[in-house]
Amino acid sequence: MPSSTSNFKRKLRLPRLFFAKPSEIVPRDYERPIPQVPWRGMTVVVVLVVIAAASAWEFYCRSIGYGPTLNDNEDLWTSTRRCVKPESIVIVGDSRGWYDVDLDELQKGLGKRPVQLAMGGGCAYPVLADLANDESFHGTIICSVVPRLFVAPPGTPPMERAEKAVHRYRTQTPAQRASQYLAMPLEEHVAFLKQEELALDDLLKRLPIPNRPYAQVPPRLPPYFGTIDRERRARMIEECARPGSELARTIQQIWIPLFTPPPPPTYIPKEEFGKKMGQAIEQRFHDVAELVQKVRARGGKIIFVRFPHSGGLKDLEDRTTPRAGIWARVIKDTAAPGIYYEDFPELSGFNCPEWSHLSAGDSVEFSKRLVPHLRRALQM
Amino acid sequence: MLFNSLTFVVFFAVVVTAYWSVRSWNVRKNLLVVASYIFYGAWNPPFAALLFSTTAMDFWLGSRIARAKGRHSRRMWLVASVCMNLSMLGFFKYGNFLLQNFQWLLAHIGIIYQPPHLDILLPVGISFYTFHSLSYTLDIYRGVLRPTKSLRDFILAVSFFPQLVAGPIVRAGDFLPQLVTPPGLRMGQFLWGLLLMTLGLFEKIVLADTMLSGSADRVFSYAGPLVAPDSWLGVMAFAGQIFFDFAGYSICAIGAALCLGFHLKDNFRFPYAAIGFSDFWRRWHISLSTFLRDYLYIPLGGNQVRPVRAAINLVIVMFLGGLWHGAAWTFVVWGLLHGSYLVIERVIRVFFEDAPWAKNFATKFLAGLATYTAVCIAWVFFRASDFTIATRMLRSMFGGHAHGDAILSGREMLQIGIVTACMILVHCSLRESNIETAVTRLPPWVVTAAWALMACAIILTQGNSNAFIYFQF
Repeated sequence: MPSSTSNFKRKLRLPRLFFAKPSEIVPRDYERPIPQVPWRGMTVVVVLVVIAAASAWEFYCRSIGYGPTLNDNEDLWTSTRRCVKPESIVIVGDSRGWYDVDLDELQKGLGKRPVQLAMGGGCAYPVLADLANDESFHGTIICSVVPRLFVAPPGTPPMERAEKAVHRYRTQTPAQRASQYLAMPLEEHVAFLKQEELALDDLLKRLPIPNRPYAQVPPRLPPYFGTIDRERRARMIEECARPGSELARTIQQIWIPLFTPPPPPTYIPKEEFGKKMGQAIEQRFHDVAELVQKVRARGGKIIFVRFPHSGGLKDLEDRTTPRAGIWARVIKDTAAPGIYYEDFPELSGFNCPEWSHLSAGDSVEFSKRLVPHLRRALQM
Repeated sequence: MLFNSLTFVVFFAVVVTAYWSVRSWNVRKNLLVVASYIFYGAWNPPFAALLFSTTAMDFWLGSRIARAKGRHSRRMWLVASVCMNLSMLGFFKYGNFLLQNFQWLLAHIGIIYQPPHLDILLPVGISFYTFHSLSYTLDIYRGVLRPTKSLRDFILAVSFFPQLVAGPIVRAGDFLPQLVTPPGLRMGQFLWGLLLMTLGLFEKIVLADTMLSGSADRVFSYAGPLVAPDSWLGVMAFAGQIFFDFAGYSICAIGAALCLGFHLKDNFRFPYAAIGFSDFWRRWHISLSTFLRDYLYIPLGGNQVRPVRAAINLVIVMFLGGLWHGAAWTFVVWGLLHGSYLVIERVIRVFFEDAPWAKNFATKFLAGLATYTAVCIAWVFFRASDFTIATRMLRSMFGGHAHGDAILSGREMLQIGIVTACMILVHCSLRESNIETAVTRLPPWVVTAAWALMACAIILTQGNSNAFIYFQF
């Protein structure tokens, strides 16, 4: 029977065992062949070529109007989501709530610096659900509503985009977090680091290769027109804000197919598809109302905001998603306050250069004018 | 930590610098152990404890097998090791799958049972490191390896970060001998390692993720019927994607190991130039196929049994190989399909191997084409998330949906066509050779240009990339 002393000895032996020198391994000969080439010279040339090519590409990108900015990916969203405190003011929803709100002005007017969680082409629902299910959260939610995005059904890009961000927030690994911290200083100084604009994949998409006439190819997304900082404050670049600029006109023409309802899929009868979509939208109204109740039950507040849009896009949206439809239903079902910019002359006089978002300067003025309405609606 | 992440670039630079700055071999090995656990813990720190416990248990069981006197007791300790490893794998990887199937079985005999859903998080790379570790006790039992006395060395053999999470499956018997004497820093070897890492990342980030994955994902996630060209191109895109993804990881691992002075064996040898399925499995995921051959197929009797029994053995091995890839029946069907391919090939060989026409170029070309086509058909089950998608894809591929939809753009079709054609061309031209020979034969300026081009393309993709497919296994 081992005594306590022998146990003690065994414990002492453990480190020796750990660091003992291996002596009984039979060496096996396996060595990968190494190509006999002038390695040093080749490496020097490769390093020089890569530095020269990257510098030339950077110079070219800057010369055609690109500037350094952060990539709005799930990791940046996650780092912003982490800033949400129990009593925070949080902006959720789509790109209008993202570009049209100035955090400084809201901080001045509301007394707290809001956390920007709205995202380009994103549906508000997954983020609303995330906040409503966060038992510690009892702050204020400012939710931007673009009707088509707000009721986007599961499996569509707006939903997937928001779901991916929320999923990353819940599952982000230490390695992903570290990569984000390392990437930010680079992205803030290098103009060509734009994942959704200047990455190889996006450059290939610009090649003028014709499609088959009957092919169902997804519509093109708008090119780079804004910068993002570490708080995820988005600002339209000057080139796009300039009235009648080529960039603004290009983006205007991209919004139209993006906001036009797609034809129903060929593999489902039209009526059945319409019925399914109707059910999905009804479900969304019901789910949002439940989430709003959840937030309110904890003492939180929520307000829905319809931000300015103009030109042909406004005509299209007013025709396909009129105010009396989705907007009115959301306000009715949730019994939450809503601000529709057209109801107030001081909010409706803004022009969106590319029809969907305010310029950086206008976003500051708009936010200043929005604050009294927010204070009144939220009883602050 | 992904190879294709900024964190890894910094991590690797720090580890390599520290590793070659230290003179003591013991300190270097300790450094690699710490680095490997940081590498693994960067995904989910608690799972590093699981990795350690599996390793420590196998270290202890290995010594018990070596010390055991009788055959019976040796076998008992081996069974303990196999059970420990497979139960760990079974719980984390197959827990929910087994419960679902148990529920389905009970439902068929009229018993309604609602099992609790086990919210099990799959430890990344568990299938790989379990096999790394298991190879140690198996080899000691087989008498081809003597146990190491150093737990640290064994920990390093199992957790060595280049091959830890997605292979190659490096057997302890191949790695432990490399820990006996310290490697010296050789510039050619180090730079060749860097070139291989560049090639691996190029394959993963540029070819798999940028050129092919988008099309494959769109085709396999499309809810309706497709026209035949789109479905075939989608499957070909996936065939290329999974090769570049996995072979890219393996090449990165081999390159990273070389930078640290270690030599890992090839895991892929131009598989899409295979003529026949046994040839394919000698070229695809070699570390897994040799593992299954040595530890499963040969103990079952291998070729030294009657032909029918040998065929059954093949199917059993491929069935388990399929299941190893994932807890789903689609993977099982993929494995069984490959098992059937191998059996059919054997039958054909019996009858026609000696025929004079069997050795001419046209026959070989057609056999190679047939192999690639059959492998692509099997990939449908590997990629599809369920049988509904798999059968819809197969129907589309064989003209069952003449009025299906066309969803690939002209650019995507061109990308798939060019990448696949180049891949098959390279595989065919290097079929009897290897990459080292090719690099030696090419003029240095061609190698330099290719290296620079790959590095530039990687920078141009900006790390806009996904996790490696094989991480989920």
